[in-house]
Amino acid sequence: MPTDHYLILSFALFLIGTAGVLLRRNALIVLMGIELQLNGGNLALLAFSRQLNDQKGHVFAFLIIALAAAEAAVGLAILVGLFRSRQTINLDEATLMKR
Amino acid sequence: MNPVNAAAAGTSASPGDTVLFAILAAWVVGFALLTITRRNPVTAVMSLVATFFGLAAIYASLSAHFLAVLQVLVYAGAIMVLFIFVVMILNREEVAPLALRPMRLLGVFGTAYLLWVFANVVGVNTGTEKVPTALPETYGTVKEIGAILFTQFLYPFEAISLLLLVAIVGGVVVSRSHQKEVAAMRAAEYRKQVHELAEHDYPGEGPPAAAAGGGHH
Repeated sequence: MPTDHYLILSFALFLIGTAGVLLRRNALIVLMGIELQLNGGNLALLAFSRQLNDQKGHVFAFLIIALAAAEAAVGLAILVGLFRSRQTINLDEATLMKR
Repeated sequence: MNPVNAAAAGTSASPGDTVLFAILAAWVVGFALLTITRRNPVTAVMSLVATFFGLAAIYASLSAHFLAVLQVLVYAGAIMVLFIFVVMILNREEVAPLALRPMRLLGVFGTAYLLWVFANVVGVNTGTEKVPTALPETYGTVKEIGAILFTQFLYPFEAISLLLLVAIVGGVVVSRSHQKEVAAMRAAEYRKQVHELAEHDYPGEGPPAAAAGGGHH
């Protein structure tokens, strides 16, 4: 398969993720949108990696997966903390950093 | 040369490859759309798991075998289990899930435009119709990636392990229960009020510390 097909797919994934982050109010769905964005980036990295016959893109994708794990852990912990103090995970209601 | 590499090495994709790619791409995009449109977070998480499995298959079709396995293990396995746990803790029905505000919609369109410009620039410079003539047989295997990771990319690797450590500690600190501290603060507040009242009713009978000891009224 030519590389541009993969690029269009990664384009679509990143866009869907962006729409999820910007248009949803549920903080959990927003975090899932971020995961979709990261995966879109990963797909582009792997496609170019094959195009250029260079495996450094795979290493970057590996690092991004580890980064996504850390981001998910901290993000979900913040959500649990937010829910403890406000009893909501609606982002429109959580606009203040203080209690 | 294994079948995946042989398929990738041809100058034009075979019909079977095209059909497979079309099915996988439709699968991934469809479940990604389900993820961001479902009202129930559990359905959204399950759709995201399906998306990640489809992506793992696409990574395999790019000869990225190690990354395909990692995608299933780390994303579909570990991260999504974390998501499921938190969804189970915080599950609330949304009243109005979508925040369709003009500025946010504008943001989505702006991103689409930016990506489109980016895609055009990239497409011109790389000649993306080309497919690499021949990939090495060991391309994308654990051995190759590991060799690069532990030689050229050793410092990024160590940095990412440090980041994971910080994330573990940060996750525990942020999500820890503050109930004991809040209770201690309220108790201190209550004691202070009692002392003030005692001072008001029986002035000059000693410092609050003595009143806290009690017994001499």
